[in-house]
Amino acid sequence: MISPQPHAVSAAQSAALRSFEAQWLARQSALPQLERSSGRDPLSTLREEAIGRFLRLGLPTTRDESWRYTNLRRLAAQSFIDAPRAPAGSVAAADSLDSWDIAERLATVHLANGFAMLPAPMELDSNKLLINNLRDLSRVNPGLVARFLPPLSDADGARWTLLNTALFTDGLYIKVNGKLTAPLVIVHGAAAQGPGTIAYPRVIVDAAPGSNATIIEHHVQRGEWTPLCNSVTQLALGQDAEIEHYRIFATRSGCTHIDSLDLRQQRASRCRQFTIVLGGGLVRASLDAHLNEPGACLDSYSLLVGHEERHVDCVNVATHHAPNTRSRQTARSIASGTSRVIFNSKVVVEAGAVQAESQQSCRGLLLSDSAEIDSRPQLEIHADEVKCAHGATTGRLDPEMLFYMLSRGLDRGTAQSLLIYAFLADVLTGMSLASARAAIEDALIDQLPDSQLLRKFR
Amino acid sequence: MLLKITDLSACVAGKEILKGINLEVEAGEVHAIMGPNGSGKSTLAQVLAGREDYEVTGGSVTFEGRDLLALPAEERARAGLFLGFQYPVEIPGVNNVYLLKAALNAKRKAAGEPEVDAYEFLALIKQKMKLMQMSETFLTRGVNEGFSGGEKKRNEVLQMLVLEPKLAILDETDSGLDIDALKVVSMGVNSLRDPRRAVVLVTHYQRLLDYIVPDKVHVLSAGRILKSGDRSLALELERRGYDWVKESQVA
Repeated sequence: MISPQPHAVSAAQSAALRSFEAQWLARQSALPQLERSSGRDPLSTLREEAIGRFLRLGLPTTRDESWRYTNLRRLAAQSFIDAPRAPAGSVAAADSLDSWDIAERLATVHLANGFAMLPAPMELDSNKLLINNLRDLSRVNPGLVARFLPPLSDADGARWTLLNTALFTDGLYIKVNGKLTAPLVIVHGAAAQGPGTIAYPRVIVDAAPGSNATIIEHHVQRGEWTPLCNSVTQLALGQDAEIEHYRIFATRSGCTHIDSLDLRQQRASRCRQFTIVLGGGLVRASLDAHLNEPGACLDSYSLLVGHEERHVDCVNVATHHAPNTRSRQTARSIASGTSRVIFNSKVVVEAGAVQAESQQSCRGLLLSDSAEIDSRPQLEIHADEVKCAHGATTGRLDPEMLFYMLSRGLDRGTAQSLLIYAFLADVLTGMSLASARAAIEDALIDQLPDSQLLRKFR
Repeated sequence: MLLKITDLSACVAGKEILKGINLEVEAGEVHAIMGPNGSGKSTLAQVLAGREDYEVTGGSVTFEGRDLLALPAEERARAGLFLGFQYPVEIPGVNNVYLLKAALNAKRKAAGEPEVDAYEFLALIKQKMKLMQMSETFLTRGVNEGFSGGEKKRNEVLQMLVLEPKLAILDETDSGLDIDALKVVSMGVNSLRDPRRAVVLVTHYQRLLDYIVPDKVHVLSAGRILKSGDRSLALELERRGYDWVKESQVA
């Protein structure tokens, strides 16, 4: 039925691609006979198209523009099987979640390797919030699910999304119908019994016109091993909807995470998006935002912490399709040890998107000689009458500031930590959810020098 | 002897700026160091405070008998030395009060004293702010963030008043101040005058010395103290200019 076309794809990837194809075939044969024959609902059609394209194009390599800083060659030479449905260790167990205690919350929904711990649809907050698992919904209402998947794209930046679209088997569909009174927390737990597994978490947030919600996705690790995590979240904001979304990466050093966030905004909708990388060995976090209708507004904040050997690759693209749209990107990266942090942001203003406004502020702080930060803001403007500003700076702690603080008697470590903390303030102060901010600051401080002293300044 | 500087020389970026400074300051005294631009006044102040990229190439400095040059900047501060900066740096994101509280606690810790009580601290700082005629908005702002030149200088003096140093070196604290601000700053400095403390004023103009009357005046030029005297030396300098000192040296 489908097979990779080896001439198009490097032989180095054949192991990975064959295993992805095997996963696809296994999903097909697991379908009931009836569905397979009657099959061609919009979702099945879309997914078949997705796997076909993916196998034809293969995994992106450093020759692809959006992947030039992150080399996945070793990963592509491996083969993968599905991460277990019921991973070692109870998922609901309190595993280091204490420090992430978002005090007031509507609910916490757990996913384990992408599988929703949600046996039945859940209605909360006077039915203003409806949560369903994608496993059931894909069967019952494939048309609805298909409607919220992003249009298939051959772009190298969307390649892992294509794979997820083809192979996800579960996840969450979240419908926000009104103004929620408290945040929803989604805990993505990752666990495997050994190497060579992959997970495909998928989350769809469907924010109805005029709705308002705060949604926190928190990625954690349970146990020694984790699967390769290829997660995709889709945020669709209806007219006048307002969403504050957090994705927080707090796995351990062995974890490889490729997370793609797709954002579609309708008229006068407002999104505040926070990408917080505090953990993981290799984290690739992309944001593909589409300001589709007039008045749509995006504030994206990235707080990227390179620690020890971590590799963080963050790619933000905000595309202004309509007049009077506004995007603002604020990125603060710090890198210590031998870590590397890459922040690429791009603003595209399409023809006709007049009066669009954009700002990109990317700042990096190097804390060791062996660390590296690459910040690259880019602009692509096809319309007149736009206002676009960008700036990028990377440096070390300011010696004048440091000396000033030392001359007041502060310990060097405290002074450094205060300066690092101050550097990150532009992102931290952007968080409107105080309890989330406190939890994030707590986890952040643990990765800074002289953390105990710094804690006192909170 | 509180401070004893003997034959101190120092380089900045490979260039020798201080060429053998000798100075002795007793507790209870106020000294003024005057001199033309580029004479090395600020370099001397920064070297005493422990700035690392200024290289001491010779001589010695003792502070209460201890070898000051052997101490890092933070330990000099805790030992009771304070530098009021000519150009106080802005540190956005670090709160003024946090910095001041951390500074006071660092000093207390070094002296074996307990940390300051939060309420007492706030009361103390508000009292000193009133003395310096500073607005309460200062409490919520970043260190020197968005301050005018005059506000920055008041903030330096405020920090000095809270930390109560044994030796305060004030580097051109008077520059850029209007007459009202100059009076406030002078009053702040005078309130710290005490038989146990000393103040070294680094200044360009004698105007400041109308308000803070020095015990001794030194003229620094080309990295050396050319002349020392009492307050009348400052007045004579004002009348005759720095060239007079240089010429009288040659002669």
